[in-house]
Amino acid sequence: MNIRRVSALAQRVMRQILRDVRTVTLLIVAPMLLLSLGAVLFRSDPPRLSLGIVNEDAGVPLPSVGTLVLGDRIVRRLADSDAFDLVSLQPEEIDARLRDGTVEGVLILAADLSATFQRERQVTLDLRLEGSNPTRSTTVTARVTEAAMKALAGLAATSPDLPVAAGDAAELPVAVETSYLYAGDEFDGLDFVAPVYIAFLALFFVFLLTCVSFIRERSQGTFERLLATPATRLEIVLGYMVGLGLFALLQVAVILLFTVWVIQISYLGHLGLLFLIVALLAVVGVNLGILASAFARTEFQVVQFIPLLIIPQALLGDVFWAIEDLPAHLQPLARIMPITYANRALRAVMLKGWGLAEIWHDLAVLAGIAVLLLALGALTMRREV
Amino acid sequence: MDAPVWTHQLSKRFGSLRAVDGVDLSVRSGEIYGLLGPNGSGKTTLIRLLVGLLRSTSGHAMVLGHAMPTKAVLAQVGYMTQASALYDDLTVRENVAFFAAMCGAVDRTRVEEAIALVEMDDRARSLVRTLSGGMKQRTSLACALVHRPRLLLLDEPTVGIDPQLRAVFWSYFRRLADSGVTLVISSHVMDEAERCDRLGLLRQGRLLAEGSADELRARVGASTLEEAFLYYTEL
Repeated sequence: MNIRRVSALAQRVMRQILRDVRTVTLLIVAPMLLLSLGAVLFRSDPPRLSLGIVNEDAGVPLPSVGTLVLGDRIVRRLADSDAFDLVSLQPEEIDARLRDGTVEGVLILAADLSATFQRERQVTLDLRLEGSNPTRSTTVTARVTEAAMKALAGLAATSPDLPVAAGDAAELPVAVETSYLYAGDEFDGLDFVAPVYIAFLALFFVFLLTCVSFIRERSQGTFERLLATPATRLEIVLGYMVGLGLFALLQVAVILLFTVWVIQISYLGHLGLLFLIVALLAVVGVNLGILASAFARTEFQVVQFIPLLIIPQALLGDVFWAIEDLPAHLQPLARIMPITYANRALRAVMLKGWGLAEIWHDLAVLAGIAVLLLALGALTMRREV
Repeated sequence: MDAPVWTHQLSKRFGSLRAVDGVDLSVRSGEIYGLLGPNGSGKTTLIRLLVGLLRSTSGHAMVLGHAMPTKAVLAQVGYMTQASALYDDLTVRENVAFFAAMCGAVDRTRVEEAIALVEMDDRARSLVRTLSGGMKQRTSLACALVHRPRLLLLDEPTVGIDPQLRAVFWSYFRRLADSGVTLVISSHVMDEAERCDRLGLLRQGRLLAEGSADELRARVGASTLEEAFLYYTEL
């Protein structure tokens, strides 16, 4: 082994990278960008959610406190905890309020709550959730449980005749029984993730395929030759969209049928509608690729778009957090991301069983983004190769 | 002004570099016009201006009666560079047919004619990837003339191909010119220049002189074209 040769090679490699200002910039800027994005997201305060309360607890006489109304105590704790905007509801309006999204969940405190507690030394809370966003469901359940435990702990401290130990909160006998408006018990964790998973795969691979085909057209010189024909830029872009779009549709079909038949995901809505949403997103992916490749000369520069264009969509696009739960300054960013609309529509169809009438505006936005990207792609296409 | 190619004070700057500098060109119908000049003299830039791949900084370029860049006129223009610029994963016939379609030539027989003209019939079904450099260059020429253009703009079409094939290429060019096609061919090889009907000598973006090889030599009393070129350079 010759050290000089190795060092000459190393120097050549370094020199080449340093000449590519963009790569060096990206190497330094991209991690900072993604780290700050992650920091903002994971550190952001959990949002206040609206919780409906149906409090029918009749209470039970208890010597040390007079009448014990456990329901009232839990509601007071919930109000103190500042985690929820509480809305008092009648039992018959529970599902309607969940459906129109004015409350995220409803805590139902049964008439015999206190009585059962005295008899069985166990608090069982009935929590009904909207159910389509697992992050929110978990948050609501955890906060309600916490409030109930605090209520019990406070009670134990003042009422020695209660069968509750004032010690470890984890041993307090609180159970939360959740039921869901959408998505029943047959749904498991994967079913909640599946919609965004599908959307992300469809967008990502089609984007890469498009970028690479376009770059190859440039590097082999055929792009210049194409521009020296009567073909207009719009024609070229449309040709690419149709040609690659067909493969995108094929991929979408494979992804969907595989998730439904082989992975056996549970979903509610119509499969054709799912196909429509993902297909639209795939077309967006093609057009995004066409636009992006106008700013790249090599395959490597295409790969550099992934941390800039794709990963932020995975973080912000209604994947882990609903848009409304994002820090305010990130919300506009999420609203221009195509994957946001695809995720929302997919969730609505797969978890809530919604139809075209309810999600058409998300589809319209997706189609609008596709057209906009196509126009931008045609406009920014470089004549000079 | 029925010249297939006509330019007036055509200039193109890249930053401070004057790649093409006030060129007045007039190419006659049905002739082979050679753009002769060393590397970096502006031949490629001039041809790219003519085919509309670049926009001029100042001056005018008229091609087949249209101010360039005009997309529509490109249906009657064939363009080829020294890089073969073909789709590697398509066959010879698929490549030729594709560029025919791009130029609006839907007639299948034209594709076969173009392939036959460059003598690639027996390899028409081969993938371009599997061809030799010379065969790729022939295929590339077929792509440039499949739509029967009235004007061919060829940028160093014979660079890097062997002398035998070069002779073959020039016989194609002459045949095309005889059938009424106008050809503008750039080259930095003097012996190729002899085969052109008229020449434009380019240096540092300027057109130094124009005329047939004989005229250019006679005008300055030089015995070779090379000598003449040097003479004009020093003017």
